[in-house]
Amino acid sequence: MINIKNVSAGYFKNEQILKNIFLNIERKDFLGIIGKNGAGKSTLLKVLCNLIKPSCGTVCINNNNVIFFSQKKIAKIISFLPQDVDVMLPFNALEFIMFGRYPYMNIFKMPSRNDYIVVKKVMDFLDITSFAKKKIDSLSGGEKQKVLIAQALAQETEIIVFDELTLHLDIGSQNNVLRILKKLNERYNKTIILTLHDLNAASEFCNKLALMDNGKIYSYGTPDKVLNYRDIGQIYNTIVAVKTNPISNKPYIIPISDECIKV
Amino acid sequence: MRVNKKLLFIYLSIIMFFVVFLFSLICGSSGIYDIFKNIDANMVFIILQVRLPRTIMACITGAALAVSGCVFQAILKNPLADPFTLGISSGAALGVVIAFVFGFASLTSFFIPVFAFLGAMISVLIVYIISIYKKFNSNSMILSGVVVSYIFSSLIMLMFALSPSKNIQASFVWLVGNFNMFNEKVLSFAVIVVLVGIVFLSLSGNIINVMSLGIEKAKTIGVDVERNVKFLFILASFITSVTVSVGGVIGFVGLMVPHIMRKILGANNIILVPMSGLFGAIFLLFCDILSRVLFNSILIPVGVLTNIIGGVFFSILLFKSRENAL
Repeated sequence: MINIKNVSAGYFKNEQILKNIFLNIERKDFLGIIGKNGAGKSTLLKVLCNLIKPSCGTVCINNNNVIFFSQKKIAKIISFLPQDVDVMLPFNALEFIMFGRYPYMNIFKMPSRNDYIVVKKVMDFLDITSFAKKKIDSLSGGEKQKVLIAQALAQETEIIVFDELTLHLDIGSQNNVLRILKKLNERYNKTIILTLHDLNAASEFCNKLALMDNGKIYSYGTPDKVLNYRDIGQIYNTIVAVKTNPISNKPYIIPISDECIKV
Repeated sequence: MRVNKKLLFIYLSIIMFFVVFLFSLICGSSGIYDIFKNIDANMVFIILQVRLPRTIMACITGAALAVSGCVFQAILKNPLADPFTLGISSGAALGVVIAFVFGFASLTSFFIPVFAFLGAMISVLIVYIISIYKKFNSNSMILSGVVVSYIFSSLIMLMFALSPSKNIQASFVWLVGNFNMFNEKVLSFAVIVVLVGIVFLSLSGNIINVMSLGIEKAKTIGVDVERNVKFLFILASFITSVTVSVGGVIGFVGLMVPHIMRKILGANNIILVPMSGLFGAIFLLFCDILSRVLFNSILIPVGVLTNIIGGVFFSILLFKSRENAL
């Protein structure tokens, strides 16, 4: 479905944050992109959404190169939630979610009846109808994240991309948000791509992982394959043990302190 | 505020606009006319030839400043942005000071708005060129506006320092903004430009909404951010420049009115932009009436009143605001 071929990219001329990346993402994948800070995870997502043009190589979706897509066309294929979304103005949740319908609106950009139906459906799905009229800045971190997801869902795209969606969330809210994404992936056949710092959450929820290092894909595959103590130890420059979660049978990672190593 | 209360507020504002408009026609330094009694030719002349143009001028200036303030605050993502953040006022001021100091203004008063407009457009052009290089990043745009303002203000001071001309007093009166000396020849032009501009900016409400989310998010929702920022920036700057050229620099309307409207009506720019325009017109009309009747037979520059009333009102708003932000 998504075919990234030999892509190099950066924010400035002659800058290479991504270095010759090859990656194939299948339909209905739940792909977690992991790696250290500055490894190029967010840059990869931006190239995918055509926010940054690659200096070489191609990104194709269904065999069409994304650089030839108009901004509007790409907004109907991929919805993207960046790390920081400015909500400077005091919009309420409903108004904010309605922005997701923008690519479908007429020339005056007024929401139609159908737009309201889609937004209502999305809000019911995420169980956020009760705070439709609440101002975004009065919501808790978890609630706000749900509203942001709702906006992305209102775009009705096949692929949804999240950058550090679960950052700043407590473990309960994080699990909640990831469960929603899993449901979208399994029940509504959405292709989900997200960057994550919590390796254990990545292991539990993603069916594919891409471990990035210094602008390259270091390893790619199922969590069992990618999350091994050698690779994780080397990339994150630390010592870890990898065990199997007795309930889900997925790998989980335990950091090991220096004292344990001495013993 | 619930939706029906918002609607009520909108209806009340429209009624208030007509009331203030009517008052503006009948109030003046020569007293308040009773229009339902003794109508004489002298009164009709004053109302139609003096007060009507002045009232229309106040309406379109207030509306243009408030609408462009609303648009600038949203696209620059800065609550302190106003029509003058990008150096428009200092550009216009420099143009006018040049017109006065070098004696163009004494040739024909028509040169005052022309020079003001040219000055404003030069500062807009400088900010625009810098913004193209900086890909319309909001912080760079504001900073370049501030830099242009400082340079132009210094040039004005330089001219004041070097010029012995008595015309400095006249240009000073213009700088604080007043409707006593605007040129009526350019009024119809200004009315058409401002009305067309306000209609286009009001229709762009949802685009402005989406752009306030930040460049990245707006792009992924399908907005061509650069093209729209260019369009909105040029249009808002243009109507500001036109009104500043005709009515002088009038502060606080563009900053304050959108804030008050946002408190009452919420952040949705589809409603906020046209309502800011309406309320801006009401506010400036109100200030203009005060400027005429406050001190019997002395006309105070309206810019002074908007700054005082706006400043006090804004401070109260700041104190009452529960959040840290406005």
